[in-house]
Amino acid sequence: MTLDKIKKILNAKVIVGSDALNADIKMACGCDLMSDVLAFVKSDSLLLTGLTNPQVIRTVEMSDIKAVCFVRGKKPDKETVELAKSKNIPLLLTDFPLFEACGKLYKEGLAGCSEINE
Amino acid sequence: MKLKQIVEELGLEVKSRVSNLNKEVSGGYASDLLSDVIANAKKDNIWITLQIHQNIVGVATLKELTGIIIVNGRKPEEETLKKAGEEDILIMVTGLTAFEIIGKLYRMLGGC
Amino acid sequence: MNREITKVQELAYELTVEQAMTRDVVKVHSKNRMGELREILRINRISGTPVVDKDKLVGVVSIEDFIKCLADGEIDSFVGDKMTREVKTLYEDEPLIHAVNKFNKHGFGRFPVVERSSGKLVGVIAKGDIIKTLLKELEINYHEEEIHRYRASHIFRDIIADKTTLIFEYDIAGQDFKHAGESASGLKKSLARLGIPPQILRRIAIATYEAEMNIVIFTSGGRITAYIRPDEIRVKAVDSGPGIPDVKKAMQPGFSTAPPLVQELGFGAGMGLPNIKKCADKMNINSVAGKGTEIEVIIYTQGEK
Repeated sequence: MTLDKIKKILNAKVIVGSDALNADIKMACGCDLMSDVLAFVKSDSLLLTGLTNPQVIRTVEMSDIKAVCFVRGKKPDKETVELAKSKNIPLLLTDFPLFEACGKLYKEGLAGCSEINE
Repeated sequence: MKLKQIVEELGLEVKSRVSNLNKEVSGGYASDLLSDVIANAKKDNIWITLQIHQNIVGVATLKELTGIIIVNGRKPEEETLKKAGEEDILIMVTGLTAFEIIGKLYRMLGGC
Repeated sequence: MNREITKVQELAYELTVEQAMTRDVVKVHSKNRMGELREILRINRISGTPVVDKDKLVGVVSIEDFIKCLADGEIDSFVGDKMTREVKTLYEDEPLIHAVNKFNKHGFGRFPVVERSSGKLVGVIAKGDIIKTLLKELEINYHEEEIHRYRASHIFRDIIADKTTLIFEYDIAGQDFKHAGESASGLKKSLARLGIPPQILRRIAIATYEAEMNIVIFTSGGRITAYIRPDEIRVKAVDSGPGIPDVKKAMQPGFSTAPPLVQELGFGAGMGLPNIKKCADKMNINSVAGKGTEIEVIIYTQGEK
């Protein structure tokens, strides 16, 4: 699923990476605890989270996640945005809470991280 | 939708007993941040998280949630289960990730 | 040069039509008149356009169709009656290589792209779009890092010694959540330049990041040292913090002594040490309460875990 399609499904705003909307996202993960993201997430995935601090971007960088979508309208701080820009990590922002955001993407056929074997 | 139906259809492993499995679930809320759940979850929601600490029972009681689904097959602490029994909060475990169990639950609840 | 071509071919199979197509499509409705078509073609300076009926692609119409209508005095007829109904299309989820083949086979300048499930017109793709997309991907893949990578990856080959080890050191400030993660980030980038494969790189990066976060969260500071040999990478995280009273307990997933403040940052859920172990081929912990902790992670860069 392209990032552009995800953007449309979640009615999301693109904060960083508007030129990266053609990126292909293979699966998604919804999580607020970065250690669990590091433990379970696979590369080429989308991270949906309610957490907006710079550690989210670090986590994404370490685990080769492709893009981040912040949920329930929570805006990331400036440092987070700057860090994402410098690492070329697309950031999306949706007003949907995590539950609805995951539900909608799953319904449209995006897989979860335990369903795809690397 | 009744709690019982969710447990059965999603194949959840029940870890604590509650007095009434016929409780109506009003919707779902997913978060691993306790402060977020305290601020935003609604009464009779079912809560999806990978937190296993006993504080989750306190939060669920405070917000009058129907139950907690723990994801990624994580095992809740004994203290958590004990407290859940006392507070009549149903604790369930699934081996699926949050994204997947939310997806299935969302579909069951009719995408509300 | 040979390698470049292989990479392009690989990309043409990997990328989909959707990733290369133009989304803003000029189109006419089948209920438009041929007279209106002329304006649309003129304003957009194009020689033909897809025809839709409620978003669904039903045909194509070209300047030739218009000229014919003009000659026959049928300028008021519907586009739907004069268009070509048999249209060669591409689906949005097809690999780009299919598009390349279709261009070669039919010699058309562009193809409408339709959604497989609904027949909805979602874009249009021209040869130029394919070239642009492939070039952009190649550039992303190669350009920025290529030079660094080329220089660094030859180090081991250029040094003459029986055994060579590179040592990178990173100082970690305790409680500095703003810069937490920079060491792991620096190490990851440097190792990528040395040519460490992505899967192994990821394991080293995650283990180092968790070790770094532990130092930041629990201590007043420490140091991470990476010893890089062609066959293995050893990462040592040393601090003079409070130490881990019960290492066995700390290794259990979910066990945590982190304060709630740290949890709200997304850490301290008791997955740190188990995570490091999961990533490592070998892991040693040496901790003395009141004195400090030393964690050593070994990851082999050749051979499987």
